[in-house]
Amino acid sequence: MRRQKKPCPITEAGIRYVDYKDDRLLGRFITDYGKILPSRLSGVDARHQRQLSKAVKKARYLALLPYVKGQTS
Amino acid sequence: MAKLKIRRNPTRRYEAVYIFDSALEDTTIAEKLEKLQALLNLAEPAEIEHWGRRQLAYKIGRHESGYYIISHFTTAPSTLPEFERALKLDEGVVRYLVTLYEHELGAPKLSDEELASRRRASDDDDDDEE
Repeated sequence: MRRQKKPCPITEAGIRYVDYKDDRLLGRFITDYGKILPSRLSGVDARHQRQLSKAVKKARYLALLPYVKGQTS
Repeated sequence: MAKLKIRRNPTRRYEAVYIFDSALEDTTIAEKLEKLQALLNLAEPAEIEHWGRRQLAYKIGRHESGYYIISHFTTAPSTLPEFERALKLDEGVVRYLVTLYEHELGAPKLSDEELASRRRASDDDDDDEE
């Protein structure tokens, strides 16, 4: 039995293009350590996952998102 | 194959994000921004959005916060090297990112209002249906 496919949360939100400046949105797709959540867990479709991974990387560069979260420095 | 080189309109739409030193005065930042943007020889003034001071997600050197400015402009790619050189030399610029802003090629762009409204919306409904 195949598990039912989750609907893509980004498509559902009506987002066509994932923006790297939207750190609130991106923040939902990273783990507690700041890693990008795999699409098999988040249900994001392939097109949006590609956009998402690029967006997260840009957001990290701009210090909108951490590279490693939960670190005490 | 030089087919990409033949472009009837040699300008492109860009988006730049600047992170200025948050210790600078607002007027100094505005001055610097103007000087930097002047290097682009813009035909029409850039659309500028100030995010203002914001906590950085991690320390960059000694900086813990930065003054974010987003700018959209249309220019010829040949002006960018000189522009980026100036950005690198400017001590007041903590970090910058220049990207192509041609979302209409694949998908309509997200307007700033949409972005702002989504920011607000996600404030109150953080828990999405899982």
